Amino acid sequence: MSSKRNAITTADARLDIPKTFALPYATGVKAGDFIFLSGLIAVDPATGERAHGTVVSETRLILAHMAKILEASGSSLGKVVKTTVWLHSLLELEDLNRAYQPFFAAAPPARTVCGARINNGMKVQIDCIALA
Amino acid sequence: MALAREILPAPSPGLDFAAVFGHPQTLAIRAGGLIFFSGMLAINPQTGEREHGTVTSETRRIFENLKLLLESAGSSLDRIVQVHALIYDRIEYDVLNRVYRQYVPNAPPCRTVWSVQIEAGLKVQLDVIAAA
Repeated sequence: MSSKRNAITTADARLDIPKTFALPYATGVKAGDFIFLSGLIAVDPATGERAHGTVVSETRLILAHMAKILEASGSSLGKVVKTTVWLHSLLELEDLNRAYQPFFAAAPPARTVCGARINNGMKVQIDCIALA
Repeated sequence: MALAREILPAPSPGLDFAAVFGHPQTLAIRAGGLIFFSGMLAINPQTGEREHGTVTSETRRIFENLKLLLESAGSSLDRIVQVHALIYDRIEYDVLNRVYRQYVPNAPPCRTVWSVQIEAGLKVQLDVIAAA
């Protein structure tokens, strides 16, 4: 038996990053017991435009956005099992941690952080795998 | 029924990332028949001290730590499903492969390698998902 693979989108179409920027990938896919989200960047929650800022401001926007997407699909930040974080410079690891920690106060997910160049000069990108 | 998301305890004190480095992350989470690990670095499993070395020595240390973790969780190196192998410089690709194949000699897992900035000036980070 083949199992289902369902696309996940945002309630507000403007906040659907691949749709807004016409990119060939899904915001998220639900398959088996899991939800897989594409790497999120900071977008303005009112307009969907890229919200360049500091590591702290971008991280907060990304994780608030991630929470909304997961909740709309019946999951939540508390069900995230793994995140991968791309950070424009590891010199800012502590800034990332400061903004990141409050979103995962109890039993945070497994995580990998690396320093990398991110599309369009954004400073942070985060993807995740969560229990559905 | 809500699916379980089980935090796996660190098998030795040095591997408790949250305690050793103060990072907001969990070492490993078991969920849906899989184990998701935080990106593993060359650290001493007893003291948590970083063991900066060559790609070869760091990869060895990481695999030894992974073996410890996987076996304490009832899994093993040959149950790894997917690896993201992060290295500091693409030029060491063959060096990584030489030591890597010793640890997964038969039916190795899926793998993606990219070169990236790794925290604290380490040269290798392995990001692993394994069957529980």
